[in-house]
Amino acid sequence: MNGARQDSLVPEQIAQLPWRLILLVLAISGFGLAILYSAAGGQLQPWAASQAVRFMVFFAMAIMLSRFREEHWKFFAYPVYALTLLALLGVEIIGQVGGGSQRWLNLGFMTIQPSEIMKPVLILALAKFYDTLPSGELRRLVAIWPALLLIGLPAALVVIQPDLGTTVVLVAAGVAIMFLAGLPLRLFIGGAVAMAALVPLAFMFLLEGYQRNRVLTFLNPENDPLGTGYHITQSKIAIGSGGLFGKGFLNGTQSHLSYLPEGHTDFVFATMAEEFGLLGGLLLILGFALLIRWGIRVGQNAQSTFSKLTAAGLSTTIFFYFAINLMMVMGLAPVVGIPLPLVSYGGSAMLTVLICIGILMSIDRENRMRR
Amino acid sequence: MSRLEAKPAEVRKVSLRREMQPIVQQRLMIVMLLLLFGVVAVTVRIGWLTVSSGGEAYAASGDTTLPPRADIVDRNGVTLARTIDAWSIAIHPDRAISAPEELAPRLQALMPERSVEDYLDILNSDRPFVYLRRRALPELVAQVNALGEPAMEYLREPERLYPQTNLAAHVLGWVNLDGEGVTGMEAVLEERLMDPEQRGEPVALSVDSRVQAAVQSELATAMRRFNAIGAAGIVLDVHTGELLALTSLPNFNPNAANRSSDHARFNQATMGFYELGSTFKPITMAAAIEEGVVTDISRRYNAEEPLEIGRFTISDDHPQRRYLNVPETLVHSSNIVTARIADQLGAERMQAVFRELHFDDPVEFELPVRGRPIWPEYWARTTIMTAGYGHGIAITPLHLANSYATLVNGGVYRPLTLMRLPSDAVPEGERVFSETTSDQMRGLLRLIVQEGTGRNADADGYRVGGKTGTAEKASEGGYRRNALISTFAAAFPMDDPQYVIVIMLNEPRGDAGTGGASTAGWTAAPVVSRVVSRIGPLLGVIPSETRDIDTANLRAMLWRAPSERS
Repeated sequence: MNGARQDSLVPEQIAQLPWRLILLVLAISGFGLAILYSAAGGQLQPWAASQAVRFMVFFAMAIMLSRFREEHWKFFAYPVYALTLLALLGVEIIGQVGGGSQRWLNLGFMTIQPSEIMKPVLILALAKFYDTLPSGELRRLVAIWPALLLIGLPAALVVIQPDLGTTVVLVAAGVAIMFLAGLPLRLFIGGAVAMAALVPLAFMFLLEGYQRNRVLTFLNPENDPLGTGYHITQSKIAIGSGGLFGKGFLNGTQSHLSYLPEGHTDFVFATMAEEFGLLGGLLLILGFALLIRWGIRVGQNAQSTFSKLTAAGLSTTIFFYFAINLMMVMGLAPVVGIPLPLVSYGGSAMLTVLICIGILMSIDRENRMRR
Repeated sequence: MSRLEAKPAEVRKVSLRREMQPIVQQRLMIVMLLLLFGVVAVTVRIGWLTVSSGGEAYAASGDTTLPPRADIVDRNGVTLARTIDAWSIAIHPDRAISAPEELAPRLQALMPERSVEDYLDILNSDRPFVYLRRRALPELVAQVNALGEPAMEYLREPERLYPQTNLAAHVLGWVNLDGEGVTGMEAVLEERLMDPEQRGEPVALSVDSRVQAAVQSELATAMRRFNAIGAAGIVLDVHTGELLALTSLPNFNPNAANRSSDHARFNQATMGFYELGSTFKPITMAAAIEEGVVTDISRRYNAEEPLEIGRFTISDDHPQRRYLNVPETLVHSSNIVTARIADQLGAERMQAVFRELHFDDPVEFELPVRGRPIWPEYWARTTIMTAGYGHGIAITPLHLANSYATLVNGGVYRPLTLMRLPSDAVPEGERVFSETTSDQMRGLLRLIVQEGTGRNADADGYRVGGKTGTAEKASEGGYRRNALISTFAAAFPMDDPQYVIVIMLNEPRGDAGTGGASTAGWTAAPVVSRVVSRIGPLLGVIPSETRDIDTANLRAMLWRAPSERS
C-alpha cells in the first residue's frame, strides 16, 4: 500500500477507500433504484429519483464517517447514546401530547426517526461498555444489568410507539453484542427458555390488536386472504410467479397492478423477485451476504475489543434488517414493518445502514493502517 | 471460560485484552455461522416459493398487456365482452381511527346501499376486512378517499364489461364477482378465456352483432305490440350451422345479471320446448317425398270433411272442403291432408327422418342450457298423424331452425355452433334429404309466402320462403285456446337459400291491425319480413325483382275460384 501511495495518480485519500465494498454497496443500491423505477411503472418519479439523491447524500456522509478514528467513536458513544435516548423520549412525549403515535422528530430541514439512529448508537454504547469492563467481571452481575439497561430503555420506548420491527432489531443486536462480549453461554440458553415461556404472555398482553393480528396471520396467511394476510399471500404469489428468471424488467404484474401492497417499501423484494425471478433474488441475497461477511471480517481483523464488538454488532444489525425483511416477505416471519436496507424506498433505514457501513469502514481503515 | 474462572483476581485486569480476544473471536465465528444459517434459510425459502408456485407457467404470461381474461368478439371483431380495471372499496374496521359516529353517515351519503346503522355495525366490529362496494367508479373512490380515513383500502380488480349491454345476453352469459364464467359462452369457454397462452387473442363467436341487434329490436317491438310474454329469434347460416343471431326476450343485462328475473334469464330458444304446429308440415312433406310416399305432388287428397280417427277429430283452421294437392295443403295449411300423408308415411319412416334431424336429442351446440325434446313414448296411429302437423311432439325453436336449414340447403344436417368457423372447419354434415327433395321444398316454401298463410313474411326483393305455425299451449288438462305459440320459420333468398330465420312469439294477443288474430301469419310473419329487410343488406344478399325461384308450375296446381282465373 505504501508503494501505491507514491506512484498513483489518484490522491491518497481516495485510493485508500475500500473500493470493493463501495462497489458492492453501489451495486445493491443501483439494483434497488432499478426496482423502484419499475415499481413506479417505468418512471423516475415518485421514488427512484429522490431515492438516488438521498443515497448519494447519505453515502457521502458514510465516507466522511469512515475518516473518524476509533478514539472518536469511543469518546462519543455514551453522550450520543444519551442524546438519542432523549430524542426517543421526546417523540414519545410529543406523540402523547399530540395524540396518536409519533416516531419522527422534525428538525426543520429533515425529519429523523430517533429509533433508527438508536440502532448503531446502542451498539457503540454496548461495545464501549464491554470494552471498559474488566474481563474478570464478565461472570458477575455487573456485566449484565448495565447492558440490559442500555438495551432495555430504548427498546421500551420504541415498543410503546409501537414499532415492533425496530424493537426486535434493537434487542437482537444488543443480545448479539452481549453474546460476543463473552457472557456465559448458560445465560443465553436460560434466556431463550425464559423467552419461550414469556412470548405467549407478551403476545397476549403487550401487543397491540393489529400486531397480534399480524402474528396470527403470519401463522396462517391464507386463512384471511383479503385481510392482514393479504400482504403475505400477494407477496408470496409475486415471488413465486417470477419463476427462475422472472418476467423481465418492468414486466411485473402483481406490483404494477397494485395487487402487491407496499411494493416499493417493505415488500420491494417481492417486486424485484417477480421481475428478476429466482436469479435476481439470489443475486441480492449474495450481495447482502458479501456485505455482512465483509463486516464480520472487519470485526475479526480488528485489534481492540471495542472495534471487534462494534463491527460484529453493526454487521448483525444489517443482517437483521435484511433477514427479517426477507423472512417477512417470504412468509417466514410476521409482518413487522422492516424495510430492506438500501433497496426499499425511504430514508430512515438507508440512513441507519449507511451509518453502520460508515463506522465499519472507519474500523476497516484503522485495521489497515495498523498493518 | 473455565480457564477464566481459575485466574487469580489480580491478574485479571492486566491480561484483559489477551484473554478476551479468543472468546470474542470464537463467538464471532458462532455469530458468523448463525448469520450464514439465516442466509441459507432465506435462500432455500425463495427457491421453494419459486418451485411450489409453478413459476414457469406464470413466467410465460409475463406480458403486462395480456388481459386477465380474453375478450369475446362477434364474427366481425366487434367487442361483446371485455375485461377492464375497476376498483373496489374496502375497510379494515379494526384499524379505523375516525369516530364511527362521524364516519358512518358520511359513508352512507356516498354509498347509500347500506344504512347508517349497518355502517356503524361494520365500523364497530373488529373484523379485519370488509368490502363496502365492489365495482366502484373512480369518482366514488376519490370521494371516499377524501374522507381521509386511513383504514380504507382501494383494490384494483379486473371487471368484466359487456359494452353492448343486452345484446346477445343469453349467448354470452355472465361472470361472477371472482371473474369466473357462470353461464353462457363465458362458462363454456372458461378454460380458453383464462388460458395464459391464448387469452391475448379474443374469441370470435358466430354471432353477427348487427344481425343480432336487428332481430332483438324487431322482436321487442312485436312483443310490445302483441303483449306477448316472451319471444325468441334465430338467424342461422344454412351452409355452415353458424348462428348469426340467437335471442330470447325478455333478456337481461349481463353487466348486472343478478338484478334480472329468472324469467328473463330463461333462454326460450334453447330451453323452451314447444309444440311448434304447422311449421312441421313442410318437414313431413319432405319426408314423404323423400321416402316415395308422395311421388306426384299434384295428387289430391280428401279434405272435404274433418278426419275422424277413433276418438280424435282432425280438422282444418281454413277449411277448403275439397280435395287438396300438396302445394294447396301447404298454402292452406291443411291438417287433414298432412295427417293423411303422415299416416301413409308410417311411424318407422317418420321417426327415422325426425331422428336424422335430431329431434330426439338436445340441440347439438355449445351452450349447456338445453334440454331433451319431448318425444312421444308410444307412436299410435294418431300420434303419427298429429306429429305430422307438429302436435304431440315438442322441440326447441333451435331444432326447428336447423331442420329448416336442412330442408333448404340441399338436404344436409349440420350441428349448430356459436363459434365462428373458419371456412375449412365447416362440418361435412349428414345427408337427410336428396338435392331434388330440397329443391322441391324451396319452391313450396316460397309458394306459401307468395300465395298462402305466410304472405306477411315477404320482404321486397329478398325472396322469402317459409311456413307459419300456430299451436295452442299445452297445459294441465288439455290445450289453452287463447294461449298460442306463434312461430314462423323462414329461409331467404329462396332461389339460393343462405339464411334461415325462426321467429317465435309466446302468447301474442292480436290487435286491431291484425283484425284480432294472434296466429303466426299475423304476428310472427311480419317480424320475419322486417328482420329480413334489415339484415339482408348487412349480409350482402342483393335484393332483386327478377331473380326468384320459379314457382309457376306450383302456382298452376293451385285451385282458383273461377272469378279469380285470368
